[in-house]
Amino acid sequence: MSSRGASALLSRASRIRSKLQTALEATVLEVDDVSYQHAGHAAVKGSSDKETHFNVKIVSPKFEGQSLVKRHRLVYDLLAEELQSGLHALSIVAKTLHETNPNK
Amino acid sequence: MATSLSNVFLKGIAARSLSRPLNGLFYCTRYSNTVSNDSDTHDDFKPGNKLEGSGICLSNVIEQDVKDNPVMVYMKGVPDFPQCGFSSLAVRVLKHYDVPISARNILEDPELKNAVKAFSNWPTFPQIFIKGEFIGGSDIILNMQQTGELKEKLKDITSKQ
Repeated sequence: MSSRGASALLSRASRIRSKLQTALEATVLEVDDVSYQHAGHAAVKGSSDKETHFNVKIVSPKFEGQSLVKRHRLVYDLLAEELQSGLHALSIVAKTLHETNPNK
Repeated sequence: MATSLSNVFLKGIAARSLSRPLNGLFYCTRYSNTVSNDSDTHDDFKPGNKLEGSGICLSNVIEQDVKDNPVMVYMKGVPDFPQCGFSSLAVRVLKHYDVPISARNILEDPELKNAVKAFSNWPTFPQIFIKGEFIGGSDIILNMQQTGELKEKLKDITSKQ
């Protein structure tokens, strides 16, 4: 785990990627900053932090047997620190490898 | 007829005009909330003031809300005027089904917002409850629509109309 000082040097996208990869051992991990799409969002005007909105797509064995609510809650828990320090919204796609295999 | 009744009901809930005032209903004193000066933190995630005191009463309000309203949404804005893309998406999905949508605008009440987060252990909005069960946010409800799960869950409500 990186120190607080080191964390400050990384972009939020890098921190998100690092936390999710470490905890979930993802086979697929896509972290997309879509903050520009919400630039006019009144709720985020005045925020000095530009990295407010992310879409994440995660494929991980940790989601096996977990409901969607449990999967999303797991991701939110891992990113609790980001949510408390400026991350405004997160769109989550959380799947197991089996669910992404079109041949079943 | 159904639509008209639904709208009346909706406006009642959205405007927070319950038959009895909140403090009368739950015998608790409303606390004033001090505004955090942490401008970097979005409203959703500012530390709650006096959460413990107000949470006890507000959690009862929420419990009553989700129990009495088969489809209950805590959102930014109201169904007819959402103030956030995610809340708007959730309402658009739910409007595909012939069910009354009850909602509270969490932008109007920071204490309610914090109480709902604590109640569901979920940090973002919108939050959707169906027949007393926490369903999730806009991602999950969209997914449930795509899989057909949402129609299944809502069919009992529709048939009661």
